[in-house]
Order: sequence, then structure tokens, then C-alpha cells
Amino acid sequence: MTAPGPTPQESLGSVRELPTVTFGHRSLMWWGTLGFMTIEGWSLALIAAMYFYIRQNFLTWPPITVPLPSLTIPTINLVVMLVSVVPAWLADRAARRLDLGAVKLWLLISTLISLAIPILRWYELWALNVRWDSNAYGSAAWLLVGSHAALLVLDVADTVGLTLFYWFKRMPIKAMSDTSDNSFYWYFMVGIWVPVYLIVYVGPYVF
Amino acid sequence: MTNPARRLPPNESAVTDPGTLPDATPQTLDEDLLIAEARQLEITWRDPAGLWGWLTTVDHKVIARRYIITAFLMFIAGGLEAGMMRLQLARPENTFLGPDRYNQIFTTHGTTMMFLFAVPIMTAMGLYFVPLMVGARSIAFPRLNAFGYYTYLMGVVFMYVSLFINMAPDAGWTSYVPLAGPEYSPGHRIDVWAQLVTFTEIAALAAAVNIIVTTFKMRAPGMSLNRIPLFVWAQLVVAFMIVFAMPAVAIGSTLQLASDRAIATHWFNPAEGGDVLLWQHVFWFFGHPEVYIIFLPALGFITPIIETFCRRRVFGYTAIVLSNITTGFFAFGLWVHHMFATPIPELGQSLFTAASMVIAIPTGVQIFCWLVTMFSGRPRLTTAMIFLLGFFITFVNGGLTGVMLASVGFDKQVHDTFFVVAHFHYVLLGGAVIPLFAAFYFWFPKVTGRLMNETLGKWQAWLFIIGVNITFFPMHILGLNGMPRRIYTYLSETGWGPLNALVSAGAVVIVVSVAIFIVNAAMSWRGGALAGANPWDSYGLEWATLSPAPNYNFLNTPVVLGRHPLWDTGSPLPVVTGLRSDRREVLVTTTFDAQPDHKHKHPHASIWPLVMAFVMVELWIGSIFTPWAVLGGVGLTLLVMLGWGWESSMESDVERVATEGRIVEAA
Amino acid sequence: MGVASSIMGSALASCSGPQNVLDPAGPPNRSINHLFWAMLVVAAIIWAAVVVAALWAALSRRRRTREDLEPIVDVPNEEQRRHVGIVTGLVGATVVTLLIFLVYDFTVGRALAERPSRSLTIEVIGHQWWWEVHYIDPDPSKLLVDANELHIPAGEPVQVKLKSQDVIHSFWVPNIIGKRDLIPGYTSSLFLHADKPGVYRAQCAEFCGLEHAKMALPVIVHSRADFAAWLAEARSPAAEPNDSSAKEGKKVFLAGACSSCHALTGVEAYGTIGPNLTHIASRRTIAAGTLPNTRGNLGGWIVDPQSIKPGARMPSNQLAAKDLRNLIDYLETLK
Repeated sequence: MTAPGPTPQESLGSVRELPTVTFGHRSLMWWGTLGFMTIEGWSLALIAAMYFYIRQNFLTWPPITVPLPSLTIPTINLVVMLVSVVPAWLADRAARRLDLGAVKLWLLISTLISLAIPILRWYELWALNVRWDSNAYGSAAWLLVGSHAALLVLDVADTVGLTLFYWFKRMPIKAMSDTSDNSFYWYFMVGIWVPVYLIVYVGPYVF
Repeated sequence: MTNPARRLPPNESAVTDPGTLPDATPQTLDEDLLIAEARQLEITWRDPAGLWGWLTTVDHKVIARRYIITAFLMFIAGGLEAGMMRLQLARPENTFLGPDRYNQIFTTHGTTMMFLFAVPIMTAMGLYFVPLMVGARSIAFPRLNAFGYYTYLMGVVFMYVSLFINMAPDAGWTSYVPLAGPEYSPGHRIDVWAQLVTFTEIAALAAAVNIIVTTFKMRAPGMSLNRIPLFVWAQLVVAFMIVFAMPAVAIGSTLQLASDRAIATHWFNPAEGGDVLLWQHVFWFFGHPEVYIIFLPALGFITPIIETFCRRRVFGYTAIVLSNITTGFFAFGLWVHHMFATPIPELGQSLFTAASMVIAIPTGVQIFCWLVTMFSGRPRLTTAMIFLLGFFITFVNGGLTGVMLASVGFDKQVHDTFFVVAHFHYVLLGGAVIPLFAAFYFWFPKVTGRLMNETLGKWQAWLFIIGVNITFFPMHILGLNGMPRRIYTYLSETGWGPLNALVSAGAVVIVVSVAIFIVNAAMSWRGGALAGANPWDSYGLEWATLSPAPNYNFLNTPVVLGRHPLWDTGSPLPVVTGLRSDRREVLVTTTFDAQPDHKHKHPHASIWPLVMAFVMVELWIGSIFTPWAVLGGVGLTLLVMLGWGWESSMESDVERVATEGRIVEAA
Repeated sequence: MGVASSIMGSALASCSGPQNVLDPAGPPNRSINHLFWAMLVVAAIIWAAVVVAALWAALSRRRRTREDLEPIVDVPNEEQRRHVGIVTGLVGATVVTLLIFLVYDFTVGRALAERPSRSLTIEVIGHQWWWEVHYIDPDPSKLLVDANELHIPAGEPVQVKLKSQDVIHSFWVPNIIGKRDLIPGYTSSLFLHADKPGVYRAQCAEFCGLEHAKMALPVIVHSRADFAAWLAEARSPAAEPNDSSAKEGKKVFLAGACSSCHALTGVEAYGTIGPNLTHIASRRTIAAGTLPNTRGNLGGWIVDPQSIKPGARMPSNQLAAKDLRNLIDYLETLK
């Protein structure tokens, strides 16, 4: 029986001087973010697959009784989203420089732009010109756009919260790393939207 | 015993961050200093006192222990339901349960066993042991971990409250539409199922992300990818499978089935272009990997137990790792074999037949590796080893009937009959529950500090193995004799009576065995023999620390020099020092080679995970009664995110920031 | 051993019966049986080999001490090579076995996929919890609508088209062929090819709600001549009652709740919610294979179906004793 107490140990070195805050793929939070991005991206891909599965049941797409989706609002929103990547990227850069002033500035600009996006998204849903309970086409289109919208709202809220914290309280230095990860997630949100936009809004025109 | 050079693996971050790892010559640490450090660590990692501490703890061992106990209680609940079903079916035209009650009971049995017992207990074993096995002081995201457990717990409570108010789901654990749709299942029973699934999916996904990141980034220095313990490999593969399988059923149950029922979407309504087979595709795209999500962790239990009791390293480490990965991939290519009786193209069926047979190969590889290991070792028949013999007896039978079921012609004969019921119980009890019991006996001392009673254990093991075979073997014959599954009664002229009576008798043996286990566990926990750090002289890092593991897991982070750390290094244990004992620090290492990279600040106890789980209750359970609950839930989620973030942002310290090739001290 | 032999005894005794995969009544199921027995024998050998190996390894080389031996971490190269050889050989054998299974299965699959172009077509429609059966004829006026009993000729493949009126059901005649699901929104079909006349029993094999357990279907395989005779008989309209009580019973049928759900060919009863009752008296069972078709059972079923088949769509009928007697008299004339 081993007596309660530490077993004999031999030190091969010390990690005392290692850093405690890192950026990008070195940090745990980046990996966690990547994990949830994978889950969410895969979920959207599955929903897209179901969208195409349902499509097999229809002779025309959209079904004859349903008009084509409008393109104006969705295209405007797409442009806004693409533009919003710029301040997110600048906030990311500023965070890696530990430049507090620039982080606050670019986060604020990010927030202002990204607040517009969920609002536009609301009109974007109606731009589908079909209701979720009209037919299976409506259900599929609403789910694809709607589930992206749900993630979008959470992420915008995250950005808003971070910005408020930065402007109204003293933030610990590790929040810089969180800011960088927040931008990382935002690239994903915008990037994954492009295929969804093409499938749901442009697709019915093309095929 | 080998004695490789006792030194740290080369450190690349030392190049980018010069001077962070002074190369030290090996130096034996002073015992008094270690004891003092242990005292300090104990205080640093301690939970707050009292009930508050109980509700706010983020210790992965505490959370995982609750997880395991809750899931085991669900095993008992599911077992009692099975007992009721066996009572009803023990003789023809029995009237113990009417159809309405019976349908709720069998649905609850399947749902409990799959969603509330099997998956949670397997991930919980990972949440307990993965950090210990990779030599980490904690898990990557402890608050997410706590949130996952509470969400799961809410699901458990929700399900069983529903059962007692006669609102339990009654369309089978598969909830096929249109039977489970709004037209043929009015009321809220199916909604309970749909949202329960969501609870357990959220919990499983939280666990999966935690296990992946812990395995990738928190391994002890020197534990490169090719030295990861096979238990951890199995958990890692399963975590990836969860990431790709669970979203399918979460989408299917919540965003399609529940929304068809609540807000009149038409996913499964053929009249509006919907498709009832879509549900089966979605469900089985999750449902088939699910079986392997339950089964692979159990294979992960087997290797260390065989190695320890046969006193020999396993043959074919690489082959077993590759088998796990291959199984994980192929598991996603089999789902259509649950749908052979539906009108789908025959060419597709042939492909799925082939895939269903191919998946037998990686499992075969593992079994052969273990057999060879046992043959060339010196086995000691502990309870855990007896259970593993039961694994070979029982699981191999289930695997072989699985190969038979891959045949479309034969499958169509026995699909949805008791033959299939027999098959999957052989696979799940033989391939998962029996190894799980082996794991309980093996790791019980690490969790409680005490050994389980071996005499009772051996009785339990043999009774369980015999009971399972008496219960499930006759079901093969019943299926061939035409008995469909999920029937609440049968006519006596079918001739199914005698075998059903035998099956029910076998169930009694299983009940006795599980009762012995419960008694044994309870008695041993209170008064079993003290175990010491490493009672079996095993090799994993989990045995390098005290039993039970202290709240900080490891005094100093161990260094790994091979695949069998303790066997490779002997005493003294090689470690790295330098993690602070006055604040919660964990060591983060590089993904492939596990070189020390940085020290991560670990969060303190927090109430937010529990609060967030209650928000999930508002959101998902509320949505059963009104879709507006979703909006409320989103609003509350945003508030909780704010609170959670606020709490994190209050923990301010001077940090060493590694950025853009330099290190800055900042607060 | 006692348990094992009793299981074996039951197993041997269970190779025959009207609802039994192992008692084939036609070529397709016979080839499935060949496949099954072949796979079973091979599987049994593999199982026995693995179990014997595991037990032998564990028992013959067993340590009797509780002391822990020095663990072996470094394995000599020679031993390692030998083990690689053994495992590779075993995996190779597994692959070969699986390949043989696969090829055998595909051959059986092709044999099962026979699709005769001209054959009798029968449509089976699933309902909660009974079966509607249509005998299709090129001449639409000769369409025969029947329920809860399926008649087919022996010696030729009969095409059965499967549809569902409500939820998913599954059509399965174990002695003849494997099952096929009845799925709303889809039409599927299978071929019944029996060569042994007799009475078999089909049962719904996909969980379909409360009374899934009581949704059976007697399947009667006639010789060809008998089948033609049966078909002609079955196409006749409902028999006209002769005696007074049956005539009263017909009035009860038409005036009461019966005709709102049940149809009688040639009589003014057009209900389609329940089974067509034109030839109820010649059926072997009532309530979808649940009860033998006797006078007592019929009466019990009419008065209180909910205690026999709780949840069935048929309501209880509180008829006066005389009305009930007359009604049964009438139903018994519907041969």
C-alpha cells in the first residue's frame, strides 16, 4: 500500500516562465470556438442537404403557387455582412497588438454594423415570399435562413456585450484573446452565409 | 523495464519565446516541499463551502461523478421498465399493462437507455478520466462541462415527471412520423420526446467539445499523438462522432418534428411536399453512429484492463487506433440498413450491405489483438477480467448476428422482430454494459479510494453474463417464429408463450446481478479495502496520483516517455514543475507533440452553468406549450451570456501575454 | 446445460407454424432459409472459436497469485512478428468469410428480385389497425374490395402493392417473404410467391400505434383452381337475407351506426372508415386476426370492441338484445 502523500517525483524542468495568454490556435478558447463552428457549420450543411432532399418532391422550385424570393434585401445584407468583416479583422489585429484604444474603436464600429444585420435578416426572411407553414419548400427555406439567423443573433449579442464591457469597465488582458476569437467566429458566420444565400435566394433563379 | 532518456521533449515554443523553459538537469523534489505545495493547491482548487459550493463546482471529477451516478440511476429506471415489459409479455394475452401504458413504457425504456443512460455514462467516463489519463489538472472548459451536466439532468427530470403524469412519449425511441406527427399523436407526449432529445444532444455536444480540446491541447509533456492512451483515443473518436452525428437528430427532433407539431411546418407532411422517409434518414444518420458512440468507449475500457491484468502491453496499438478511426468513419455509412424494408433503390441497398459487413473488420481486428495479448500474457481472473470474458461470449454473438442482418433478404425477414431486439441487446449489453461493469470494478478505487469486493463481484459478473444470455438468446428464435417487436400482447396460438416465459425468467437473473452490484458498490464505498494510488499496478497517468484524485488532480504535471507512462518510467515519477499553486493554472501543450506551450488560467466556481441550464428548461420545455417561449429563451440566454461574461471579465491578474513573437507582462 | 437443452428443444420445435420464417412456403423464403442456415453455421463456428480462445487464454495461463508480475513493455521482435502473422491471418480469414457472405447474399438478392411482367395484382392498404385488400382487375368494374384476409393462388408470383392510409405499417408474411413497409406518400410493392397451399398469418411489423399488436392478416394460399373459384364467389354482392330475423338485422345494420363506417357491396352501405363486410361470415377471424370468427366473438366485438382491442376506431354499440341478435343473424348470412 502506498502511504497517502506524494509519490517521489523528479523534476525534468520548469514551465514557470511560460506565457499565460496566447492568441489563435495556441489558446484553448480558439479550439472551443472551432469546435462549435464545426458543429454549427455541419448543422447548416445537413439542413441544406434536407432542403435538396425535399426539393426532389417538387416539379418546380419554388412550387408553382409560390413566387421567387426577392433578391434586394438579401443582397444588401450580404454586402453589409461582407463589409462587417473588415472592422472585425481590424479588431482582431488590434487585439493581437494589445492596442486597447484600437480594440475599443473597431469593436464599436463592428457593433454598429452588425446590429443592422439581424434587422435586415428579419426582412430577409419575408423576402423568401413564402411562409414556413405554406408548404415543405417554405419550411426548408425558413429553417435554413432561420437557423443561421439564430446563430447570428447570439454572435451579434456576444460582440455587443464585449464592446459594452470594453467601453464601460476595465477588462483583463486575456479579453484581448477573446476579442480575437470573437472575430474568428464572425468570419465563420459571414463565410457560411455565402453558400446559404446562394442556395436559398439565388438557387431558385438559376436551376 | 525500459528506461528511456529522462528528459523533456524538445520545446518549439522556447524558440519563439526564448528563455521560457530553462533546461534543467533532472532533480529529485523534496518531499516536504511537495507536501506544502499540495496543501496550497488543495486550498486553491477548493470549491466554496456548503450548498453554494455544491451548486457552483466546476471540478470535472465532481461533475462527472454526478453524471455517472445519474446515468446509472437511469440504467436502473430503464431496467425497471424492461422488467414491467417482461412481466406483461411473460404469458400470452396478459393484462398487466394495457396498450397505452405499455407503449409509454417501451418508449421510455428505449429513450432512457439510449439517451439518458448509455451515451451520457460513456461520455461521463471520458469526462472523469480523460483529464486524469492525459495528466491534466482539469478539463478544458469546466463551466461548459457543468452546464452540459445540468442540462442533461433537467432532461432526466423532465422525462420522468412526464412519465408520472401520463405524458410520456409513446411512439418508440425512434418516433417515426407520421405516427409521431401532429395528426396521429396529438397532445404533448411526443413533444416531450423531441425536446428531451435536444437536452441530451446539447449535453453530449458540450462533452464532446470538452474531450476533443482536452485531448488535443492539455496532454502531459511527451504524450505525442502516438502515445495517447487507447481509452482516450476511443473517447476522442467518439467525441468527433458526436460532433457529426448529434446535430442530425437535434435538427430532426426540434427543428422539424417539434416544429411540424407546434408551428405547422410541413417537413413530414406528404400533402404539402414533405416526406416521411426524410425523418428516417435524419434519425438513422444519427442513430447508427449512436450505437458506435456507445460501443467505442467500451472498447476503450477493455485495453487497459487486459494490459493490466495480463501484465503485458497490448499487441497492435496502432492497429487498434486505426480500427477506432475506421469504425468512426464507416459508422456514418450504414444508416440505410435500418431502412431495408422501405422503398429505396436496390443498388443503394447493396452498397449499405457491403458497408455493414466491412465494419465488422475493424472490430474483428481489435478482438484479435486482445486475444493475442491474453495468450501471450499471464491473466489474473479479477472481476473485471471475468466481465471481459463475458464481453467475448456475448458481444461476438451480437456482432455475428449483425453481419447476418446486413443481408437484405434476411434482414427483411427479421427486421422489426425480436431477432433484432436480441441482436442489439447482445451488442449493447455485451459490447457496452458488460465492459462498463468491468470498468466500474477497475476504476472504482480511483474514484472512491477503496476497492470493490471481489467475491461479490465475481458472483455478479457470472450472474450478469448468464442472465443476459438467458434473456436475449431465446429472442432470436421468437423473432424467427414471427414475433414482431413493440407488441403489448400476443395470442396463445402463436406458440410464443414458453420462450417468452424463459426470457422473463432471465430478466430476473439480471435484476439479481444488478442488485448485487448496487450492494457491493455501496458497501465498498463506505468500508472497502483502501486502494492506494495504484492498486492494480497499472500504467496510466490516472494511477500516478492519489486515490481518490485530489481536486487539483496532479501535484506536478507528469512527463510521459512512452505509451505506458508508469511502466515506462518507474519511480520516481518524472514531472515538470512551475504551474503555480496559488492560482488555478493548467498546462497547455502543442497539439501533435505535446510540448509545453503555455499556462492557462482555469475558471473558479460559477453559478452561471446552472442558471443557463434553467434557461434551457424555459426555452425547450416552454416551447412545447407556446412557440413564444423560444423568444423568451433567446432573451434570457442573452442575459445569461452577459452575466457569464461579466464574471469572467472580473478575474483580473498580471499575465504574461505571448503575442506577435514577443512576451509582454500586462494586467 | 438444462437451460441450453430446453432452448434447443424449443428451437427445434419452433421450426414450423403458420407464422414462421423457418417454415418456408415458397421459393423466395426457401432461398432465404438456405442463406440463413449457412450464415448461422459459419457464425456459430466463429463464435465458438473466439469464445474457446478467450476462455482458454484466460484459464490455461491464469496466474493464481495476487502479486503483480513485472509488466512486459518490450516485446521481442520475433514474438512481435509472430503475432503480426497471426492477427493478419485472422483478419484475412475474416475478410474472406465476409466476401463469401456478400457474394452469397447478392446471389440470393438477385433471385429474390424476380419481376414477372404479367401477374395478378393485389393492393393492400394499411389502416390503424386493419388491412384493406383490393384485387385489381383490368376491368375496373371487377375490382374486388375485401378486408382483413388475403387470398392468393399457389405456384405463381403475385404482385402486392402496398399503401398506407394513415401511419407506417409493414406487411410481412414470414413463411413466404420478408417484409415491406406501407408508407404514406409512397407506393411500394413485393411479390408473394407461395407453392404450398395453406393458411398463413401475416402481422404488421412496424409499430403503428395503440393496437399494433392486434393487426394480423390471415393469408390463404389456394391451389390455382380453388383461387379462381374463391375469386368468383368473392366478387358476388352481399347475400340477401331469407329469414325474418336476418332481414331485421339488415335494417339494424343500415339504420344504425354500422353502415356509416362499413360497406356492403350491392347494399346501400358505403362507409369506408372500417373494413368492407360483404363476406364477413366467410372470414376466419374478426378484428384483424384478433378473434376467431364465432357468433359469440362477433357479438362481443359489436357490443364492446374497446375491451377487446382498446383504442380501436370502432365504438361500443349499446344495442337492444333483440337488435343485436338480429344483426348477428344477418352478418352470419354474409358468406
